[in-house]
Amino acid sequence: MASQEPWQMENGNLKGSSKEIKHGRTAHNMSSSSLRKKSDLSLVNKVPCGLVRQLLANLQEVILGTKLSVLFPAIPLAIVAQYYGFAGPWIFGLSLLGLTPLAERLGFLTEQIAYYTGPTVGGLLNATCGNATELIIAIFALSKNKILVVKYSLLGSVLSNLLLVLGTSLFCGGIYNLREEQKYDRKQSDINSLLLLLGLLCHMLPLMFRYAANPSGAALIADSTLSLSRAGSIVMLVAYLAYLVFQLWTHRKLFEAPEDGDDDTVSSDEEPVIGFWSSVVWLILMTAIIALLSEFVVGTIEVASESWGISVSFISIILLPIVGNAAEHAGAVIFAFKNKLDISLGVALGSATQIAMFVVPLCVLVAWIMGIRMDLDFSLLETSSLALAIIVTAFTLQDGSSHYMKGLVLLLCYVVIGACFFVSKTTPDQGNGITPGIKLPTEGVVSA
Amino acid sequence: MDSQEVWNLENGEVKGLSNKDGPHLIRNAHTMSSSSLRKRSDPMLLPKVRCRVLRQFLNNLQEVILGTKLCLLFPAIPLAVLAKCYQFGRPWIFALSLMGLTPLAERVSFLTEQIAYFTGPTVGGLLNATCGNATELIIALFALHQKKILVLKYSLLGSILSNLLLVLGTSLLFGGLANLKKEQLYDRKQADVNSLLLLLGLLCHVLPLMFKYAAWTDTFTAISTLQFSRASSILMLTTYVAYLIFQLKTHRQLFESQEEDEDGDDEKALIGFWSAFSWLVGMTVIIALLSEYVVGTIEAASDSWGVSVSFISIILLPIVGNAAEHAGSIIFAFKNKLDISLGVALGSATQISMFVVPLCVIVAWIMGVAMDLDFSLLETGSLAFAIIITAFALQDGTSHYMKGVVLSLCYIVIAACFFVHKNPSVHQSTTDSLRVVQSSTGVLTA
Repeated sequence: MASQEPWQMENGNLKGSSKEIKHGRTAHNMSSSSLRKKSDLSLVNKVPCGLVRQLLANLQEVILGTKLSVLFPAIPLAIVAQYYGFAGPWIFGLSLLGLTPLAERLGFLTEQIAYYTGPTVGGLLNATCGNATELIIAIFALSKNKILVVKYSLLGSVLSNLLLVLGTSLFCGGIYNLREEQKYDRKQSDINSLLLLLGLLCHMLPLMFRYAANPSGAALIADSTLSLSRAGSIVMLVAYLAYLVFQLWTHRKLFEAPEDGDDDTVSSDEEPVIGFWSSVVWLILMTAIIALLSEFVVGTIEVASESWGISVSFISIILLPIVGNAAEHAGAVIFAFKNKLDISLGVALGSATQIAMFVVPLCVLVAWIMGIRMDLDFSLLETSSLALAIIVTAFTLQDGSSHYMKGLVLLLCYVVIGACFFVSKTTPDQGNGITPGIKLPTEGVVSA
Repeated sequence: MDSQEVWNLENGEVKGLSNKDGPHLIRNAHTMSSSSLRKRSDPMLLPKVRCRVLRQFLNNLQEVILGTKLCLLFPAIPLAVLAKCYQFGRPWIFALSLMGLTPLAERVSFLTEQIAYFTGPTVGGLLNATCGNATELIIALFALHQKKILVLKYSLLGSILSNLLLVLGTSLLFGGLANLKKEQLYDRKQADVNSLLLLLGLLCHVLPLMFKYAAWTDTFTAISTLQFSRASSILMLTTYVAYLIFQLKTHRQLFESQEEDEDGDDEKALIGFWSAFSWLVGMTVIIALLSEYVVGTIEAASDSWGVSVSFISIILLPIVGNAAEHAGSIIFAFKNKLDISLGVALGSATQISMFVVPLCVIVAWIMGVAMDLDFSLLETGSLAFAIIITAFALQDGTSHYMKGVVLSLCYIVIAACFFVHKNPSVHQSTTDSLRVVQSSTGVLTA
C-alpha cells in the first residue's frame, strides 16, 4: 500500500536526524548484515497491482535476501518427511538444514525491528532473541524431559562460540592480514571472560557436591545440588541483567562498533527495508517454523544417533551448535577478514555470554516451573571442557592483539574436544549421567 | 603525667624531623583504611577534671574506647561474659561474643598503628603484618586447642574467601557506582605479587587434596598428607618472610599509599607508647576470652539456628572478624583510592593464607595435633576459583562496577553452596583422615 512508502520515507528522515544514535548497530547485527545481498527490485516493480507488488517486495526481501536462501527448500521437505513417515535420520538432517537460514533471518528481522524501536530496546531485543534457536531447541528438549540433550546442546553452543567461531575468525583474519597489526579493545573481552568465569563457578560447585564425599546419601545430594543450581541460576540472571545495564546504558561506548572509513558500505544498510508490522509478522511466522523444526530435531535425535553410529552427546555438543551458529560464524569470519576484530569478538563472546548467563539459567528456572529436575551439574567431562575453553580463551584474549597462531590454537582445542566426545560413548538416558570409570574414594568404581 | 605530654611533643618533633627524609611511617593501606572508622575525640569535657593523672587516664579511655564509630558494640562484651557466667542459652553467648569481637578487632589495629608511630616504619610494618589479623589467629589457636580442626580450617578458608571476593567485590562495586564518570586506575604490580603468593598457597592446598584421590591406601595417604603439609608450611612461612622483606625494605615504593594533604592531621600519635602497649595486651586478653566462648558454643549455635557449622565458620565468622576492614575498604573505594582498598583486601588474604595457616600447622605439630593442609574438595575448589577469578579481574589495572558485581555474586554463590551443604561429620571433632575412614564404612547419622 502507498502508506507504507511514506512510512519508510519518514523513517529515512528519522534516521537522518538521529544518525548519532546508532540504532542497535551492535556487533551482532553488523556481522549478520554481511550475509545479506541487496534485493533486486526490478522484477517486482513490473507487477501492476500495488498490493501484490508490496507483498512480493516483502517476500523477496525476507526470503531471498540472504545467500543462505538456497537452504530454504529443506523446510517443506522436512515437513513432508515427517508426515509421510520417512526415516528418522532424514527428518533430522533436513530439519537441521532448514534451521540454518531461519536463524539468520531471525537476526535480520530483529535488526529491522530495532530500527523502529531505538537503540536500547533494540539492544535488549538482540540480547534476548540473539540465540533464539538455541533457546527454542532447549525448551522443546525440556518439555520432552530430555535433560541431557538440553545441557549438552547449550554447553556445545558455548564451546562452539568460544573456540570454533573465535578460532576460525582469528585464524582466517590472521592469515589474511599477515602484514597488518591486529588490535582490539580488551575491555570488552575482559568483562565477557569475567562473566563466563562466574558462570563456570555456578557449574563447578554442584559438580563438586557429587564428589565431596558426603555420607548423607544420594537423595540428599541430589536435593542440595538442585537447590544450589536454582540459587545459582538466579545469581546468573542477576549478573546478566547487570551486564545489560552496563552494556546498554552506563558504559555504552565500550561496546559500540567502531566507525571508520568503511561507512559507505555500512550506511547503505541504515534504512530499514521492510516495515515494522511486517517485520513482526514475519518474526512470529519464522519463530513458529523454527519451533516446528526444533520439535522434529529433538524428537528424532536418538534415531539419527543410532542410525549414523555416533553418540547423542556428540550430536548435541558438536553438530547442533554448528548448525545453529552457522550464520554468526560466517559473519564473524568475514569481519575478521576486514580486520575488524572488535566485531568478531563481540559476536563470539557476546553469544557465549548470552547462552551461559541467560539461556542456561532461564532453562533451569523454566524447568523449575514445569516441575522438571534440571540442575547445573553438567558432569565431569563436559564441565572440564568448558572450564578449559573459558580459561584458554580468556588467556588468549587478554593482551589486546591477535595473530593467526591464536586462532589455530583455539581451533585445535575445539577439534580435540570434538574428538573426545566422538569417542566417549556414554548412554544419555541414565537420569543423572554418572560418568563411568571414575574412582571415588568412598564409593568404589561405578560401572556404566 | 607531664612526661607523657613531653613524650608526645618529642614525638611530634621526631616526626617533624623525619618529615623531611622522605617516606612517612607505615601509612600503608591497612592503617589508613582503619583510620576511616575513627572519629576525632572531643577533648572539651576533660580539662574540667582537676586531677591530672585522672585526666590523662580519662583522655586515654576516651581515645581508646570511644574513638571509633563501632563503639556501640562494646556493651556486647560484658553481656557475653555475663551470659557465660549465668548460663544463658549458648546461641546467645555465641552471638554476643561475635558482636563483641567486631569493635575489638578494630581497636587492636588502631593500637598497633599507635605503637608503630613510636617504633619506626619497619617494625611498625612488621607489627601490622603479624597483628593485622590477630582476631583470626586467636580464634584459630583456640579452635586448635579444643581440637576442632575443621572449624579452624573452615574459618581460615572463609577469611581468605571473604577478603578476596566479598571485601574486594563490594569495594569495586560501590567505588564503581560512585565514580561512574571517572576512570578508575590502580597499580597492578601490588595485585600481581599478592596473586602470585596466593597461587603458591593454593598449590600447597591442592596437592594434599589430590593425594586422597591418587588411589593409595588410607594410612599411607594420611601420613604423606601430614608430612607434606608440615614441610610446605615451613616453605610458606619462608615465602612470607621474603614477601615482608620485599614489601618493607627493598621495594617499599610499590606499596606506599599516595601522600596527600588530608592525611596530615592524623600524623601524631594519640596515646603514649606504654599505654598503647598495655591497652593492646588488655584487648588481646578480652579477644582471647570471647574467642574461647565463640569456639566453645559454635555447635550449639549451629544446631539451634539450623545452619551447618561449616556455613558458620566459612561465612559468618569471617564477616564479623573483617567488618572493620571491610567498611574502610569501601570508604576508600568511594573516594576512588583503589590502591588502598586493594592493599587491604589482598594484603589480608595473603597474610592469612601464607602466615596464619602455616603457623597453625606448625603450632599443631608442636602440640601433637594432626592438622594438615587438606581442606577437602568443595572448600579447596572454591578457594582455587576465588583466587583465579580475582587474579583475572585485577590483572589489567582498571576497574568498573561490573567487576565488583561479578566478584560479589561469586561470593554469594559460594555462600549458597555452603548453606545447602549439610555435612554432618563436622559435628564430630575428628581429623580428616578419620573422616575418610568413617565415611567409607557407610552412612553416618548426624
